[in-house]
Amino acid sequence: MAERPRLKVPKEAKKGEVIEIKTLISHAMESGLRKDDSGTLVPRKIINRFTCEFNGKAVFACDLEPGMAANPYFQFTVKVEESGTFRFSWTDDDGTVVTADEAITVT
Amino acid sequence: MRALSRRDALTLGVGTAAALAAPGRSRAASNGAEVEIAKFTGGKTAEPGRIAIDLPEIAENGTAVPLAVTVESPMTAADHVAEVLVIADANPMPRIATFHFTALSGRAEAATRIRLAATENVIVVARTNDGRFYTARKEVKVTIGGCGG
Amino acid sequence: MRLARVVSQTRLARICWRAGGPVALAALGLVLGLAPPGNAEKSGAAPLALDADASARPWVRYHGWPTRDSAQFNSLAALASPPAPAGPRKLDRPLTGDAAKGRVLVADRTRGGSCLACHVMGPAGNADLPGNVGPDLSEIGKAGRDDAWLFNYVYDARAYNPDTLMPPWGTNGIFNEAEIGDIVAFLKTLTTPAQYHDVLDDPAKRPTPVEKRDNLDSMVNPGMWAVEDKAPALWALPGPNGPACATCHRQPAQAFEAWAAAMPKWEPRLDKVLGVEEFVTRHAKATTGHVWLMQSEENTALAVYLRFLANGGTIDVDTQSAPAKAAYGRGEALSTRKVGQLNFACVDCHSPQRGANKWIRGQWLAQMRGQLDHFPTWRTSQQAIWDIRKRFQWCQVAIWANELPPHAKEYGDLELYLTAQSNGLKLNVPGIRH
Repeated sequence: MAERPRLKVPKEAKKGEVIEIKTLISHAMESGLRKDDSGTLVPRKIINRFTCEFNGKAVFACDLEPGMAANPYFQFTVKVEESGTFRFSWTDDDGTVVTADEAITVT
Repeated sequence: MRALSRRDALTLGVGTAAALAAPGRSRAASNGAEVEIAKFTGGKTAEPGRIAIDLPEIAENGTAVPLAVTVESPMTAADHVAEVLVIADANPMPRIATFHFTALSGRAEAATRIRLAATENVIVVARTNDGRFYTARKEVKVTIGGCGG
Repeated sequence: MRLARVVSQTRLARICWRAGGPVALAALGLVLGLAPPGNAEKSGAAPLALDADASARPWVRYHGWPTRDSAQFNSLAALASPPAPAGPRKLDRPLTGDAAKGRVLVADRTRGGSCLACHVMGPAGNADLPGNVGPDLSEIGKAGRDDAWLFNYVYDARAYNPDTLMPPWGTNGIFNEAEIGDIVAFLKTLTTPAQYHDVLDDPAKRPTPVEKRDNLDSMVNPGMWAVEDKAPALWALPGPNGPACATCHRQPAQAFEAWAAAMPKWEPRLDKVLGVEEFVTRHAKATTGHVWLMQSEENTALAVYLRFLANGGTIDVDTQSAPAKAAYGRGEALSTRKVGQLNFACVDCHSPQRGANKWIRGQWLAQMRGQLDHFPTWRTSQQAIWDIRKRFQWCQVAIWANELPPHAKEYGDLELYLTAQSNGLKLNVPGIRH
């Protein structure tokens, strides 16, 4: 997970509005089925879980399998009732967790 | 042989994912998709309907096929979609992802990009918070390249 | 004295001295570690490392690519292929063949794409997505062609049509005579129109692919990460000689607003056409000292970046000056040269008069105009950014020809010719494609 995650979150919204969020993280998502140039199987190493919380409450999550493409991308919606902060997290098979936060003002 | 070529088909490298897929539309015995679906539904029947699957009819290759899933639901605390399972019926491993929605989701919809080893069906099964199941499927043709991809 | 040595050794400083007083002073300032000039674009011909290697030497084909050596067949640098036959051969005995084996052979993608790449062939191999570069052969079995004709056409169609697109499957040793016999036996069984499983399998009805992705959205196109992250970091990175790109080019977005739209260009100091990628290698080496060979990640990121800065600009390569005209003519000739064991010229697939705007198996063959506006491009099938030279190399290897190193002068001529076909279109880099 070398590059910074990319996020598209509106800066503002109206109370009760359903907003659209896009997230992307760079990751090879090695399926465990690919052979390298010498013919050896490259071991599985993927992001296996993505979560989105708002003000500490779970909103959306995904359990990822090797069938997900490299550089996992998600687009999903959230109904916002108050201002606050989104926290996104990506968990690698090796236990590493990357998180990113985005604030939103809701009026 | 056919299973092996599907494994190879997930290699990233020279040529498209479908480069090594055997020509032909008849697929070999199931990759276990039905078992995964049964695990998800606990054996209950999933009603066809309520799910819109947005996938290309033909994917130029299988490395990053855009998928969008929408499930009709009021998405209230009392009545919402809780989980959505995405399955591919001819990938080496049938499970692709499980989406988890909440009443805060607003809509039960998600888009992502998936890997498809060859022409196959993508099957989506949705579970509501009160234990109902819905399902839909769509076939994607994964392009076989010209000379070498 | 250190000052004198540094000043005499860096071409950069020489350019700045030549340019005049204030700049010379600024160059002195640079050398002494004070505020740098920043606008070197205005000071004349860019320094180039003329003797340096532009790509890995010796050139070795990329890991993971087919390892076949095709030296006995034409390349863009050398002619070697066996000659075309003067006419059809007489069969010295009746043709025998196994139609079942033939049915497998025509669908075998390891044999140069297989027949289904270009031909609909009825029920052959339950084929998905056959191509239509060549005629539909679903009823060839009752077209009144005798065995000798069918055999010769597959063996070497040049016996009947010197201008054919058909690979010389026999002359060039792709299929042996027994296998061609099997293929002929199979062709003779084809007597009914193709029954497609799916309307998408019919190349006449398959919708032409249209690229609708937003290639400049980094959520969609990983190629944009080069523009947003990699290239700016490289721009600011000091090289072994001391400066970074940014030292002399502090405002690249303004300075290079139009530069890449006029590339590639004839470079008299090298006696060849110079593309953006090779320019980056030679210019970076001469100034910063960075070694950014063609096809390195750094080189590709900067090539994407420099073109991106000229996005929206109209492609306008010189084809009028004497050397550019000559290079264009050479490039045009190279685009018609048959190369490789499969014996294809660029025009065979990419000229509207030949194979362009048709299907090769499930892939649409694009015509030449409208290609160089989006290179380098992110390739989804490769999960990497490819520049045009790598694309040339792949095309060669895919048709069983030996590729040239990325800096080959032939590639420069071809790139000039090809870019000129897109003159008038707007740059839109990086692209995103299969």
